[in-house]
Amino acid sequence: MSDEVILAGIADVARHHLDWQGPFTLDMRLVEDLRLDSIRLLTLAAQVENRFRILLDEADEAGIETVGDLVAIVRRKLAG
Amino acid sequence: MAETLNAYLGRAGGRPEDGGLRFVDRAERERWMGWAEVRERALAVCGGLQELGVRHGDRIALVFPTGPEFFAAFFGALLAGAVPAPLYPPVRLGRLDEYLRRTARMLEVTKAAVVLADVRVKRILGESVAMARPRFGCRTLDDLPRADGVPAAVSPSDLALVQFSSGTTVDPKPVALSHRAVVAQTEILNSFFVDTPELRHSCVSWLPLYHDMGLIGCVFPALARQAELTLIGPEHFVARPALWLRAISRHRATISPAPNFAYGLCVHRIADAEMEGADLSSWQVALNGAEAVAPSVLRAFVDRFARWGFRPAALSPVYGLSEAALAVTFSGLAEPFRSRRFDREGLSRNAACEAADGREIVSVGRPVPGFRLRILDEAGRELPAGRVGRVWIAGPSLMEGYLDDPAATARSLRDGWLDTGDLGFLQPGPEGAELFLTGRAKDVVILNGRNYAPDEIERAVDGLPGVRTGCAIAASWLPENAEGEVLALFVEAARDASEDDLAVLPERCREAVIGATGLAVDRVEILAPGTLPRTSSGKLRRQEALRLYLSRALTPPAPVTPLRMVKAMARSGLAYGRLRWGRAGAGPRE
Repeated sequence: MSDEVILAGIADVARHHLDWQGPFTLDMRLVEDLRLDSIRLLTLAAQVENRFRILLDEADEAGIETVGDLVAIVRRKLAG
Repeated sequence: MAETLNAYLGRAGGRPEDGGLRFVDRAERERWMGWAEVRERALAVCGGLQELGVRHGDRIALVFPTGPEFFAAFFGALLAGAVPAPLYPPVRLGRLDEYLRRTARMLEVTKAAVVLADVRVKRILGESVAMARPRFGCRTLDDLPRADGVPAAVSPSDLALVQFSSGTTVDPKPVALSHRAVVAQTEILNSFFVDTPELRHSCVSWLPLYHDMGLIGCVFPALARQAELTLIGPEHFVARPALWLRAISRHRATISPAPNFAYGLCVHRIADAEMEGADLSSWQVALNGAEAVAPSVLRAFVDRFARWGFRPAALSPVYGLSEAALAVTFSGLAEPFRSRRFDREGLSRNAACEAADGREIVSVGRPVPGFRLRILDEAGRELPAGRVGRVWIAGPSLMEGYLDDPAATARSLRDGWLDTGDLGFLQPGPEGAELFLTGRAKDVVILNGRNYAPDEIERAVDGLPGVRTGCAIAASWLPENAEGEVLALFVEAARDASEDDLAVLPERCREAVIGATGLAVDRVEILAPGTLPRTSSGKLRRQEALRLYLSRALTPPAPVTPLRMVKAMARSGLAYGRLRWGRAGAGPRE
């Protein structure tokens, strides 16, 4: 799965589950730019897992700050 | 009659009809753990702790998600005569360094002898533990030595639990609760749910187990009644709210509590398809507490879910706080919720007069058995019904105090009465005086059922270009017809602030606050320097600022729904994005 497809999938999750209507780019920070509070972060994590059928754990999530970071971890998890 | 939590556990039977815990995961797979199994696993943890050298009265910090390990650890600590202190696990995708700092502080405050955590969390906790240095470090349950547990003798006056008051704050207060207090609260709660030959009460909860409404409100009453309790991890509920309602339907539960925002989430985020075949008619008591109750949310919930059998009379606004162990007032459980309208101008003068077009406030009911309530003015004089003042309470489940903090305790507890820090008034009702809450005397901000300290929010904007240092006030309130509390930030502009700085200031403030605290600010008001009210000694007056803001508007602020809030944020995000990328055009304006 290419990075573009992963990004589109995450953007879809954001629009569908977080009502995000703005632009969605790799450099956007999850907290500051997407305005994700703790409940929305929980929702994003769980729905990204559902969407891509992967399981993230705390070690994976510790370094994720931007959409790009999230795309990279999804790519890694899909590669297995 | 049991006198300690340990005694309740001692009575647990091993047959299916003796009750227990049912854990539901995201895929709705279920796992049963009878109370006798809880006791068995707890005994193993007790043995391990005793072998380690844990002593009577030692505090045991626990960091576990909802699951069997939490219970083995919690009750294991109790059986060893120690005092469990549940902490919260890290937020997903969140600020790890903030979490570690907060956790270290909580460990220090509780003087925990050991931290018990699950294997995933233990990996992360390293730094917190290094900072706080508990005697026996951080262990998973498997790390504990194997030894037979010998249940310690425990008396009602011993501490049963350290409960941090309602969730994440900068300055979480450790509430020390004795066995006597917790048992008294458990008996009070169970007095409302008496089983009959035809009906056995059971509860479903998604609330976190480090939250008083989740632990004291759901677990201990089920244990005491040897009843069933179905638990869904809060992380699962938030990702898929339908899990909650479907579990209630599937297990014909009669009781389920939640904070106001959860009812709102269900209205907006559950699709009809997810409710296919669901029947909510067994749900007799839908408690709504832990934060301000919005009448519009209650009505929206009824409108949406009546078609699947939800009974409007089930909605029961309640009031309580950790410092009282939990419940202080309950509205009539079998009646529709009551709200009345009060003249706004009168309320601003601390008088509650009914008025057809006034502010709608929901009644949180009457004191639960054993509790007394008084409304006092600032000078400590008791006020009659219809006058707004501070709510003071007395009852059998009050805390011993804030752990190892006699000064903070003395500020709240006086001669057996607790200053709740909430404002409200009494009104006569069909069965006695009922409590109506109007706000908080304490400046604490409560959002999504959790407490936040305003100064952390305010400090986040200090140093932003255009902001006058130390001149920001954060406050929250429940606007009329809104579905939840709104967070506002009032910021004085610096005298030399440039036009450009001012244009982007609201966005910068929002970004700074969410970055520092994880909270999304709904309204940012930029004010002229010197506008914010201060005391004679120069201290900012938060309540006064809020009162002025709310009364200055000629028309009430527009209703804010979660959807509108997110759309507004998205619009600002778009505008902010334009500015960041240097495109010409108007800056974001409120």
